[in-house]
Amino acid sequence: MFEIFAYIARGAGWTIVMTFGSAAIGIVLGLPLLVLAESKFALIRGIYNSIVHVIRGVPTLVWLFISFFGVGQLGITLSPVTASLLTLSIIATAYMSEIYRGGMKAIPAGQWEAAGALNLDRWSTLRFVIGPQLFRAVSPSVATQIIGLLKDSALVSTIGVADLVFRAGIMTQYHAHGLYMFGIAGAVYLLLSLPIAVFSRTVHTRITRRYAVA
Amino acid sequence: MSISHLSPNSSALEEGAPAMEGSFVSAVQLTKQFGEHKAVNDVSLDVAKGEVISIIGPSGAGKSSLIRCLNLLEVPSSGRLRIGDATVDFDTGTPSKASVRNLRNYTGMVFQSFNLFPHFTALKNVTLPQMRVHRRSKAEAEERAMQELKRVGLESKAGAYPAQCSGGQQQRIAIARALAMDPQLMLFDEPTSGLDPEIGAEILQVMRKLASDNMTMLVVTHEMEFARHVSNQVAVMVEGSIIEQGPPEQIMTAPNNIRTQKFLSAVLGR
Ligand SMILES: Nc1ncnc2c1ncn2[C@@H]1O[C@H](COP(=O)(O)OP(=O)(O)OP(=O)(O)O)[C@@H](O)[C@H]1O
Ligand SMILES: [Mg+2]
Repeated sequence: MFEIFAYIARGAGWTIVMTFGSAAIGIVLGLPLLVLAESKFALIRGIYNSIVHVIRGVPTLVWLFISFFGVGQLGITLSPVTASLLTLSIIATAYMSEIYRGGMKAIPAGQWEAAGALNLDRWSTLRFVIGPQLFRAVSPSVATQIIGLLKDSALVSTIGVADLVFRAGIMTQYHAHGLYMFGIAGAVYLLLSLPIAVFSRTVHTRITRRYAVA
Repeated sequence: MSISHLSPNSSALEEGAPAMEGSFVSAVQLTKQFGEHKAVNDVSLDVAKGEVISIIGPSGAGKSSLIRCLNLLEVPSSGRLRIGDATVDFDTGTPSKASVRNLRNYTGMVFQSFNLFPHFTALKNVTLPQMRVHRRSKAEAEERAMQELKRVGLESKAGAYPAQCSGGQQQRIAIARALAMDPQLMLFDEPTSGLDPEIGAEILQVMRKLASDNMTMLVVTHEMEFARHVSNQVAVMVEGSIIEQGPPEQIMTAPNNIRTQKFLSAVLGR
């Protein structure tokens, strides 16, 4: 009994790698994309918008199959892990940069103007004025997005990455008891989402304590 | 006070009279266009060191646009601007980063909406720009910040976040933040408009003190009492142009321009 549980739970390794790997990449790469999203050139904004639209408009599962089965036809063979991480990272990046874009809109123009009037250079303005406010504005959405990635990561089982779902599937094939096997997988997902939710809540209360007075 | 200010006739200004010797700020034929609309239309303005000029006029006249042109929050479409030793010519393309920086080094600005950084305490609001722009050490910047907070009567709020301060307190912190940067020209864009009259009076008191300390100030305001009793000059702006400029008494009691008369009778209710 415990062996079965342990076998499935070990799938959490790949689930965590897929979720937090792609989240980390998305959180970082989403930032430079913001430069394109906010470009003063309509053409660059147009290109950015189309790319993001295409990435978000096609189901994750389809992207996963394209990068695993489809790209192989072009002569590049990706391992299941590489294909999965690549796909989830690209999708995460598109979502994160859209979250950042929304967060930027929430920062009043007066903040940029005050920084400009005080003669702060661009880097100081971003680093000390805009960045911290952006972080506070987006952290709830980023947390929600990470939980979304956690759930989406279950799709990687379809191309053979031995994550929670994959292992629960194998145990079901051997022993039946699908309810029990996938119940274990589901419980581990919940467990993994817990720290993300707690982190988000903590950040949120720390902010509101300061901001919302008066 | 320069001669051109004394002239109640604004035509000399509109033709872009050359900057007067000794003027500290000299704007020549500034125009700011938004699309087809000229928010600022060929405005020339000289300000002597230590002078306080109030800019009054109806809503949409271009008062904010004009003073935002002076620190380049709006880049004028054409014209020339000199503050102290910093000069920018807008007819020859967009100003370089260095010239923007030089010009802004002379100016401080106070906004209607305060625009404090909400994630910093009052002290950090006043300290951080000094450290980043003037490379002051933390200790130096904090010492200066406390002086300025004291000057606006808010040392006790040093550790408070903007959200923990009233509107009037926030505006005074914003003034302290600007002053700590050693500006030689202070720009105020309706600093009291968002506040209750009694609270606005606190701000006006701070500004009055600043004026008596010889700060050069350009003040967009609806406070006719302030315009009349604190400023050396009142400029009346209508539809993008300064239609009349002169000593407050003259503008308030014997305006030459019919549109000034109409505006004043509307705001003063007489
Ligand atoms: N960023 C902008 N884009 C387009 N039009 C603008 C912009 N800023 C100002 N304007 C226009 O320029 C004109 C002058 O606006 P401005 O804000 O300078 O007037 P104001 O005299 O300060 O008015 P108020 O007393 O209401 O503050 C208005 O018609 C306004 O709509
Ligand atoms: Mg205005």
